[in-house]
Amino acid sequence: MSAPAASALTESRVVRWVLIGLALAYLGLFLIVPLVAVFAKALEKGLGVYWAAISDPMALAAIRLTLVTAAIAVPLNLVFGLAAAWAIAKFDFPGKQVLETLIDLPFSVSPVISGMIFVLLFGAQGLLGPWAAAHGLKIIFAVPGIVLATIFVTFPFVARELIPLMRAQGTEEEEAALTLGASGWQMFRRVTLPNVKWGLLYGVILCNARAMGEFGAVSVVSGHIRGLTNTMPLHVEILYNEYQFAAAFAVASLLCLLALVTLVAKSLVERKVREGSHEH
Amino acid sequence: MSIELRAVTKRFGDFTALHEVSLTVPTGELVALLGPSGSGKTTLLRIIAGLETPEEGEVLFEGQAATDRSTSDRRVGFVFQHYALFRQMTVFDNVAFGLRVKPRRERLSEPAIAAKVHELLSLVQLDRLGGRYPSQLSGGQRQRVALARALAVQPKILLLDEPFGALDARVRQELRRWLRRLHDEIGITSVFVTHDQDEALEVADQVVVMHEGRVEQIGTPQEVYEHPATPFVYHFLGNVNLFHGRVEGGKVHLGEFTMDLPPGMDPETVPAVAYARPHLLEIDLQSTGRPQFRAKIQHLNAAGPLVKVELVSATGAVVQAEISQERYQQLHLQKGMEVFVSVKDMKVFTSAHSMLGGGI
Amino acid sequence: MKARRILPGFGLAMGSTLLYLSLIVLIPLSTVLVKTTSLTGHQFWTIVTSPRALASYRLSLGAALAAAVVNVVFGGLVAWVLVRYRFPGRRLLDGLVDLPFALPTAVAGIALTTLYAGNGWIGRYAARIGVPVAYTPLGIVVVLAFIGLPFVVRTVQPVLQDLDVAMEEAAASLGATRWHTIRRVILPELTPALVTGFALAFARGLGEYGSVIFIAGNMPMRTEITPLLIMIKLEQFDYAGATAIALVFLTLSFTLLLGVNLLQHRARGVHGVGEPSGVVLA
Repeated sequence: MSAPAASALTESRVVRWVLIGLALAYLGLFLIVPLVAVFAKALEKGLGVYWAAISDPMALAAIRLTLVTAAIAVPLNLVFGLAAAWAIAKFDFPGKQVLETLIDLPFSVSPVISGMIFVLLFGAQGLLGPWAAAHGLKIIFAVPGIVLATIFVTFPFVARELIPLMRAQGTEEEEAALTLGASGWQMFRRVTLPNVKWGLLYGVILCNARAMGEFGAVSVVSGHIRGLTNTMPLHVEILYNEYQFAAAFAVASLLCLLALVTLVAKSLVERKVREGSHEH
Repeated sequence: MSIELRAVTKRFGDFTALHEVSLTVPTGELVALLGPSGSGKTTLLRIIAGLETPEEGEVLFEGQAATDRSTSDRRVGFVFQHYALFRQMTVFDNVAFGLRVKPRRERLSEPAIAAKVHELLSLVQLDRLGGRYPSQLSGGQRQRVALARALAVQPKILLLDEPFGALDARVRQELRRWLRRLHDEIGITSVFVTHDQDEALEVADQVVVMHEGRVEQIGTPQEVYEHPATPFVYHFLGNVNLFHGRVEGGKVHLGEFTMDLPPGMDPETVPAVAYARPHLLEIDLQSTGRPQFRAKIQHLNAAGPLVKVELVSATGAVVQAEISQERYQQLHLQKGMEVFVSVKDMKVFTSAHSMLGGGI
Repeated sequence: MKARRILPGFGLAMGSTLLYLSLIVLIPLSTVLVKTTSLTGHQFWTIVTSPRALASYRLSLGAALAAAVVNVVFGGLVAWVLVRYRFPGRRLLDGLVDLPFALPTAVAGIALTTLYAGNGWIGRYAARIGVPVAYTPLGIVVVLAFIGLPFVVRTVQPVLQDLDVAMEEAAASLGATRWHTIRRVILPELTPALVTGFALAFARGLGEYGSVIFIAGNMPMRTEITPLLIMIKLEQFDYAGATAIALVFLTLSFTLLLGVNLLQHRARGVHGVGEPSGVVLA
């Protein structure tokens, strides 16, 4: 496609390339350089140190905890995201707007405050603290607290993806399924779910990325007990604060790889969603 | 299976979509619900299907109450205006859907289902497209898939919501005739909704004309066209000319001419409105003995089987007439000519339902 | 006749949603209010207006605002370039724009700190020209700009993509120069999206913790953001103090967002929601 010279419909070639240059410089400075820096710093002291850092027992424990947390938070948010989207997108009821706003609430709360509220609820001096202690439940400064805080922070992702999608798809296909004799679950399984599968996957990808990468909220509830209540991001912080830079960046590089995988998966699904919406 | 609706009323918030509508559809008939947007016809269809619940009234299938039965239990075939095909499934899977979701004991084996699906696809002439997805089909093809899908579960009633509304003119014509032939072949009780009067008159056994949530008239296509029961029906079906006047002294006085009262009308002195179809107006070059009025030809459209003549009367009223090509050439009509117009037949209404304003 | 819902599952879906919402979101959030009531009005006031707290509000708000402004300018530029121009690597860069979104904040924090520290790849040049970045408010702005980068780009891109070329053609046919067209025709169409992007970037920047604490230096009164102050109070088991400041911060954020939302509404009202203004196509 040949680039036309300046006209009233497009900028001059010079202007165009200046703008492209500026945008590239900005993106380069803000995106590419930091990304490269992480890997460069991680491998600064050689592969040996890199490997030692990520196979260190504390690091492995952190990796395990991160995975477990995501494995609990994401499916739960998926199920309830589906339920919320079903109720909101396919039915009319008073207070729908309020409900949508409430679902978005965790997005507008600072991560530290998101963690703080669970400390206030289940901490030793918390509202339900004595009750938890009486039942021998360790929530704050233990894994359950981390999971709860993560669920809170990643709560809206799936619902926010599904609600507009389900709303745009309307109710006709479901109604058609009913006229053909399908039961409620048959209708949901065979018609609704296939229609939203890409949007659902997209929401899950975002939810997972946030669940694994959450720092602020988890930092407040975890108690930073090495080997027990440290997720990968927290482990990175500890290593960095102890000036073990290469090790810190080594673990960080794993998280970077996760982010890149997330981006790729996201692009692929985005394309599918776009294709799907063109079928109308 | 026959359908009966008794005093069905449906409200959406403050808006009443249907006012105590009662209607019977005998078994095996093809009935059209005809009316403008907002007349409640789609709502009525959805109530029969169970996709809406009425505030008051009852729905009966073959004399049995069906009002409380859920949509899945009613076993009606419903064809949606925008097809509502399952976009993630192939044509084959769409048609097979109803057969696959049956409870285990009623379900056929996959080979039997496949045979049935192919039979239906042949019926709608889409046999080779089973592997395609809805997005790969044309509008007319999608509509036929929707029909095949609805027929797959052998419903006792077939309901179609503006089935040809989203298609272009030629496809619409073809599918219309095709639907009529299909109905004659299968004989299933069918109700379809349309705002297109040509469609209703051409396809249906019975036409139900609806307006603002009420039934204006029920009858055969000929009955509603030639003997409209209310001004609305007259207006809605075909073009019409409007004449304002009054009934007095046993005659109808309309501006400059006076006609005898049509037989059977009450000769009481009241304001009246008369309706006359364009093809029932006659044009002459000279005064004849009949009641007529003078008019000037404002516009002539001689393209087509009938010549459409637009005239302005002495009182400024615009009148539309349709005459044959023969007559047109006989009279050597031209724009600007002064002629005499007489009315062969008209309908006079004196009730409060008379509508003001020009014809369609 | 009772109104019956046609599609099934409403009760189950609503019920479980409300239950989950209450357990995970509403009840925990309510603790903020409950805990604050344990303070007297005077105590509350002293805590939230302490010099340290006030300095932290100023810093958090100021840095988030500055970063959001930077993002509007450069984010808008990036969106324009990505949508309107073709160049090698465009698709790749388009995908990378979401990196700050997908990257854990701690990783962003240490990466940017290392870069902008006095001996870092970029920091050494900054030091040479006498503009230290790390451990200063400027560093915080840089980090928040990184975090908020995708927000403006992603809200402006779809609007740009859906922009009706016919409008620009109409302007051109009426004799407008390119600059004129951009300023008078295109920019107004983008304004609602820019404002939305600004609001989202601002909101995100306000609460940001993980990436900021590495670069900030965290000196009270100078480079201490409000979330960190809350965290410190929690570590000192001063729960009441932490909650009080959190409440103020939450209220501040919500009010500001409400204001921006109104601005958005106003902008959208003038230009119409996503409809091509006035151009009727055949």
